[in-house]
Amino acid sequence: MTSVTGMVIGESEAPAASTAGAPARLAARTRNLRKVYGRTVAVDHVDLDVPVGSVLGMLGPNGSGKTTTIRMLLGLVTPTAGAVELLGHQLPARLGYALPEVGALVESPGFHSFLSGRENLMRCAAAEPHLATAAIPRAVGEALERVGLSAAAGRRYRGYSLGMKQRLGLAAALLLPRKLVVLDEPTNGLDPAGTREVRAVIADLHAAGTTVLVSSHLLAEVEATCTHVAVLHQGSVVAQGELAELLEAGNSGLLITTPDTERAVNALRDNRMPARATPDGVRVDLTATTAPEVVATLVHAEVAVHEVHRQRTDLEDLFARLTEPDSPEAGLSNVATQVLPPDKPE
Amino acid sequence: MTTAALSGLVTTRTKAPIFRLLRAELRFMLRRPRTLAALGLVAIVPVIAGIGVSLATNAPQGGGPDQAIAGIAAIVKGNGLILPVFVLLLSMTMLLPLLGTMWSADAIAGEAAAGGLRNLLLAPVGRARLLAVKAFGIAVLCLVAVVIMAVLGAVAGMAILGGDQMLTLSGSTLGFGPSLGRIALLVALVTIQIWAVAAIALAISTMTDHSLIVLSVTLGSIIIFTVLTAIPALDWLHPVLLTTGFPDLADVVRDPMPTDAMTDGILRAACYILIGYSIALGRLATRDG
Repeated sequence: MTSVTGMVIGESEAPAASTAGAPARLAARTRNLRKVYGRTVAVDHVDLDVPVGSVLGMLGPNGSGKTTTIRMLLGLVTPTAGAVELLGHQLPARLGYALPEVGALVESPGFHSFLSGRENLMRCAAAEPHLATAAIPRAVGEALERVGLSAAAGRRYRGYSLGMKQRLGLAAALLLPRKLVVLDEPTNGLDPAGTREVRAVIADLHAAGTTVLVSSHLLAEVEATCTHVAVLHQGSVVAQGELAELLEAGNSGLLITTPDTERAVNALRDNRMPARATPDGVRVDLTATTAPEVVATLVHAEVAVHEVHRQRTDLEDLFARLTEPDSPEAGLSNVATQVLPPDKPE
Repeated sequence: MTTAALSGLVTTRTKAPIFRLLRAELRFMLRRPRTLAALGLVAIVPVIAGIGVSLATNAPQGGGPDQAIAGIAAIVKGNGLILPVFVLLLSMTMLLPLLGTMWSADAIAGEAAAGGLRNLLLAPVGRARLLAVKAFGIAVLCLVAVVIMAVLGAVAGMAILGGDQMLTLSGSTLGFGPSLGRIALLVALVTIQIWAVAAIALAISTMTDHSLIVLSVTLGSIIIFTVLTAIPALDWLHPVLLTTGFPDLADVVRDPMPTDAMTDGILRAACYILIGYSIALGRLATRDG
């Protein structure tokens, strides 16, 4: 847990959201979160930290527990076990104090087809505790403007395209200034222009000091917009921290070009060095070892080496290594973030 | 920029004003096409019934004189205010329970299926409060439906059948004022029974995302209740069946008016309402949104 605290303190240069009451360094926090549906464990041992002012991208393959985690974070689903803290308020007891300051778009936007876009938003606005009644029409107008739906506001929701529906959901989340905005797959169904607009909205929110939690399976999306990343896999957080740090940690890889791929991999694995064969050559993770040691090992094993060079990892590589079943379990255990042990106590 | 513009109008409440929520819920329900269709139906039924009775009693002039119809014609003549009573008692068996069930089904199950429930829970509207808002909307619409039926029944009765009096089942005739009183009483009694049906439906509504399940289970139960009520060997069961009190509503048009069965009916409905809403509250509190 000390590493968590360190990471959060290191976060002080991020724009701090103005907190009226007790300032929370973490906008959202879960500890040992677990959700079981029948016999299916949807989410297990999730310790998620969303630093104030960050844009945290929640990554994971379909079914990795992203939406379930978000729903527990927002009090929509009661966790089987574990604790959730939202904007410094303990859930579920103080959910009502946290939620007015949270804007959320979870799964498909829940609107009614017989109402116009504006009427649907008016209905959402009426339920917002922090909106004064007199402010509702203006807040709705501004939210529609912000997502580019002003022209279509009077049309029935029934006739909206998928992208427009998604925008209206975004507008509902942005009805009033929030401390935390949670967006579950916000670019689902959006065309490239819409995707760019969502990115712009996220950038705006970040600049205003709002904490943003975005879930996505689009890696480029996350790489372009997020300051922090949490990777979920099979219901657990397998890595989280600052995006730059994670990528840097992922950088420490070697790509070895050799005609003897199999012997090279075996020699390295015999020496407890995580290696795997890729079409480009042999990849070695350097988190547990160093480049000279790798080269020395190969030379001792009399493996012919044509070329050795450091490889830059991008998010896609990192993600693949963390979530693909056949990847070596070396992982990123000594990155300045917490990584769960591969064999979960169950 | 939004922050600056709205800063003066943002409050620090943790709950939206309840009247705003209730108004928004009513507006939402009344904007719904199916609600309007239902209220339209409720308005047409008394008119159709009035025309039907009028045609039936006026028709057979050329053919052989039909004693029975002539008798009914004589009874109806000048007793137009019996029409709303007749229509309400008729609709009590299926049409009105169907509407109450429909609104309950839409309130939670339908809203959950559309995702609107999630929007409300995230606003946030507390779960108990949400149930109260939904229950209010359902209760008001049930009342509105019954009132529309009674008012149009009275108007249609006076206009089509003629007369502003009411012939009671006991043979006496009530004047205009007392007749309206009896109709108002019947409106209240019918509404309470429909509220009880809607409460059962709302309890089921909190358990599913499919409004059709709510509709089938509730209406199925009412049909089963009615069948059980008709079996004399099961009379020990009758006091707990909601439908037991439905036929007793006709007591409203007796003179003098017996009140025992009526009181029982109210108490029975109150129990159903209490149980229904308790189950709904318990289920909604733990339901995944």
